[in-house]
Amino acid sequence: MAYSEKVIDHYNNPRNMGSFQKDEDGVGTGVVGAPECGDVMKLQIKVEDDKIVDAKFKTFGCGSAIASSSLATEWLKGKTVEEAGQIKNTEIVQELNLPPVKIHCSVLAEDAIKAALNDYAKKEEVKSSASS
Amino acid sequence: MNEAAADPRSLPMARSMCWHCQSEVKGEYLCGRCIKVQPLSTELDYFSCLNLPRKLNIDRDEIEATFYRLNRVFHPDFYAKGDDHNEKTISLGNSALVNTAYRTLRDPIQRAEYLIRLEAGSAKEIRTAPPADLFEEILELQDDLNAFRAGDPKEHSAEMTKLRQTLQAAQASLTNRLQQLDAQLFEAFEVWDALQEETSDEAEAVRVRKEHVLEEMQGILSNRTYVRNIVNDVVATIK
Repeated sequence: MAYSEKVIDHYNNPRNMGSFQKDEDGVGTGVVGAPECGDVMKLQIKVEDDKIVDAKFKTFGCGSAIASSSLATEWLKGKTVEEAGQIKNTEIVQELNLPPVKIHCSVLAEDAIKAALNDYAKKEEVKSSASS
Repeated sequence: MNEAAADPRSLPMARSMCWHCQSEVKGEYLCGRCIKVQPLSTELDYFSCLNLPRKLNIDRDEIEATFYRLNRVFHPDFYAKGDDHNEKTISLGNSALVNTAYRTLRDPIQRAEYLIRLEAGSAKEIRTAPPADLFEEILELQDDLNAFRAGDPKEHSAEMTKLRQTLQAAQASLTNRLQQLDAQLFEAFEVWDALQEETSDEAEAVRVRKEHVLEEMQGILSNRTYVRNIVNDVVATIK
């Protein structure tokens, strides 16, 4: 099975690879895994005034998983927290032309986004309850 | 005459009537009247197919003997020369099921995965807590792997030597972890098998304990996949 050109491009030139400090202000971290294939994905967002100003990822897995998370970070940047929650795995499948056997990679990326958003929301809640 | 269930040469069949001569069949592989091969039930699970209880410790010699015995009846080669198209198709279907059943149950990991699917509907329904520590470890190791790949393997700089040592140590500790996971899994096999034999009246309590074991096994199997993946990657990178 051949990877699409877009997957190969993201794989060879991953965007936004790396990580932020987990406890940094405004940073939300999502770490998820796919027990079926053993892939692990970490996705982080940096939020300022409800807007995602930066995103980073680190993925251990196949080319499609790396491309899915790389694309996700690109899409996240500039979005509001609410908009980010609306990113669907099917959009990633379309953009990267993923074959059916690789759809779970895009699901993993969506899960990672959700996990990062949840983590951010939780941190904000703690912050607001601490200040009130 | 033996009841179908008690006869070792019978299995649940797709139909209760011979497809060829319409006489009653009760689970015999071959029709008692016209000796035509009968189709196995499509709902037959792999354990029943190989005449095994739903237990996780199995006798490899026994399962092999059963497999050969069934193959001697169903192998499509025995029906290839006849001109009966139905018999060819039926024997092919039966033989395929027997083969898959044997290949799946022969391997302890696949056997456990299959049992979980069978007992819990879909293995995906069992959600186990993601092993956060393991994920962190894997992602950290991923950095070392990337750094090693970026370097020149023939170079004997202090940095490359150090990276190689780090990865070798990780390989050893992860391989060890894999063995521990296998040991845990086989312990769970024992617990499951004991529960299958449990005949106490507290059916509900047994059911809850079974569910717990299935969940535990699912967790071990998931972790096993993560660890094996990263071990393979480390081995391939530093070889």
